[in-house]
Amino acid sequence: MFTDTIELKDFEKMDPEYQDLLKRILAIQADCEIGGPHLYVEDMLPAAPTRVERLIVARTAAEEVDHYRKMARLAGELGVDLSPLLNRPNRERYVDAFRGRISTWEDYALFGFLIDRIGRYQLEEFVGGSYAPLDRILPDVLKEEEGHIDHGTNKTAELAAKGGEQKERVQKVLNYWYAKALDMFGKSQSRRSERYVHWRIKRRTNAEAREHYIREVNPLIEAMGLEVPDPTAERRFV
Amino acid sequence: MPMAPNTEAIDQHLKGFVQALHAAVNRAVPHVQDDPKLVDRAIEDCKEILDVVLEGNVSEWLK
Repeated sequence: MFTDTIELKDFEKMDPEYQDLLKRILAIQADCEIGGPHLYVEDMLPAAPTRVERLIVARTAAEEVDHYRKMARLAGELGVDLSPLLNRPNRERYVDAFRGRISTWEDYALFGFLIDRIGRYQLEEFVGGSYAPLDRILPDVLKEEEGHIDHGTNKTAELAAKGGEQKERVQKVLNYWYAKALDMFGKSQSRRSERYVHWRIKRRTNAEAREHYIREVNPLIEAMGLEVPDPTAERRFV
Repeated sequence: MPMAPNTEAIDQHLKGFVQALHAAVNRAVPHVQDDPKLVDRAIEDCKEILDVVLEGNVSEWLK
């Protein structure tokens, strides 16, 4: 296990595998950060149920753009231009969950509840990691992600509490995003995932992080009176 | 390690967009109850700013 802490000035001296992995993870993180607004701004900013919710959508998008900016800056310092990610078509996003479009309030709520929570998991992987410039930007980014998760969780709970057809719609949307969420951790038997841990770019393997996520989110789903979806249904990566 | 071209300039542009978005939201929040027109204008401003960001026409920004 690698134990040093790396600054920008040390980067060029690092093993090529380390350089490649760090550049790759910054690109993926930036792609996910800007991929969020691409999913929901067009339909949800003008059409969220209330003015307050529209302002929350705008603030959330602003924060995600800023997270993208921070990741893109770190990558730029390493010689990688991530500006093409700004307008990459959704269908070409790195992670499957960002390849569609969010056009209902239920989807927006579930996205915050389940997918932004994974954003937090991915970011927590880097806390105390070997690349100090990345570690330093995390506290503010994580705090904002927590706000997005809380909003999504509260809205999902409110919608589920209405019961009847509304609750059925939430359950259907939950089933869709739950599979996308579990897939976001990647393959359990991933050699690359182990190399990230070796270099202390990440703290946990894909399988460990997915297991922690399931242990956190399943009780929340049950507390809302919803059914935890089959964790093997509609999955691409196990 | 040489920086990627325009890293600093793109970063500054994005910072400006983010600040403008927060300013629009902060201008509207105190008036959610008493001035719906002002709030709607702020939301429209946010949409316009975000459209420019997500269009990602960086070469235009850098002119």
